[in-house]
Amino acid sequence: MIRRNGFTDETLEWRSWLEPLRLAEATPLQLEVLDESHPQSRSSPYYLTLAHQPLMLRHRSAAYNAIMYAPGGLPRAERELGALVVSVANGCVYCTSVHAQRFEQLAKRSDTVEQVFDDPASAGTSERERAIARFAMAVTQRPHALGGDDVAPLRAVGMSEEEIIDLLQAVAIFGWANRLMQNLGEPEVAATSGG
Amino acid sequence: MTLRRGTITTPRNQTMARTDPADVIDRAAGLAPGDILHAARRFRAKVVDATQASHDALLRLPVDGLPTADRLRVAAHVCAIAGAASLARHYEAELAADAGRLAPPAPALPAMLDFAAALTTDPRRGDRAALVALRRAGLTDPAIVALAQLVAFLSYQLRVVAGLQAMRAGRGETS
Repeated sequence: MIRRNGFTDETLEWRSWLEPLRLAEATPLQLEVLDESHPQSRSSPYYLTLAHQPLMLRHRSAAYNAIMYAPGGLPRAERELGALVVSVANGCVYCTSVHAQRFEQLAKRSDTVEQVFDDPASAGTSERERAIARFAMAVTQRPHALGGDDVAPLRAVGMSEEEIIDLLQAVAIFGWANRLMQNLGEPEVAATSGG
Repeated sequence: MTLRRGTITTPRNQTMARTDPADVIDRAAGLAPGDILHAARRFRAKVVDATQASHDALLRLPVDGLPTADRLRVAAHVCAIAGAASLARHYEAELAADAGRLAPPAPALPAMLDFAAALTTDPRRGDRAALVALRRAGLTDPAIVALAQLVAFLSYQLRVVAGLQAMRAGRGETS
């Protein structure tokens, strides 16, 4: 278990500041979109809140799932590293806990997670990880001032154009995900661990 | 530049292949069919389709208390303050194209713009009080969800565009 700078890789829960949809009042479309979004969405306050707009949730989930889970391209652990760096940079404690766990499961180690919690801008146990972390920070913090120099280190460590786009989209969609998690509710310590 | 509306209600599993050679992100990033980066984006065709479908749904689906015109006004404002010039022009052009049919700004628009600006510039600034302010301005919870989804999506969209522009610059192409 890692706890640093207010971040953790323990399982957290999330409480909505809005009224989540009540399942008993859900339309068939809302149930269908919940089921295609996430396996546990029917019991998730986050998904039940977003289900107030089921078609918006449907397309968001389709983009998110394709960006983070589709096979091929950038290794999934590296997409999770991008997501983790952005979540720490944006101060999203809930997203950070989820994606720290995902990175640890995929990479089978947690050394990089400790570094990201300490300082996402300098994190990385290899030149390739450091290039990923720096790019994720630049896209997150100064999208208006990105340039070719920000991309060059990714090409230098051997990434193809498709892999760079995979990383860009993973980083960018956490600009989306973090804002929802941080502005529609707040994390709380899980009543029961696991999950 | 017109929004594609056909995908909004397309049932799952029947998503049609897009016939548009360039979508909103391609156009904002300066990509055209035949470009290496235009083709590289299509390696993730599902992402391309779902991103454009999100744009269409967030801007065009009917939402009580959140008129399309105000969503376009929010989008243009967000892109302007984020320095996303080409996307700001896109949303301003959408507003101008619909000018004759658009509703005047709703009384809640100033509250929406405040929320959008705070969310865009610093995601840590949001708190429960910001949502209470939107409720006081007359937005229902489903309308607040739609507004938050729109603003959060724009943070994604403008970063994808900025990254693609940087990739082009790194390849020696000019915007």
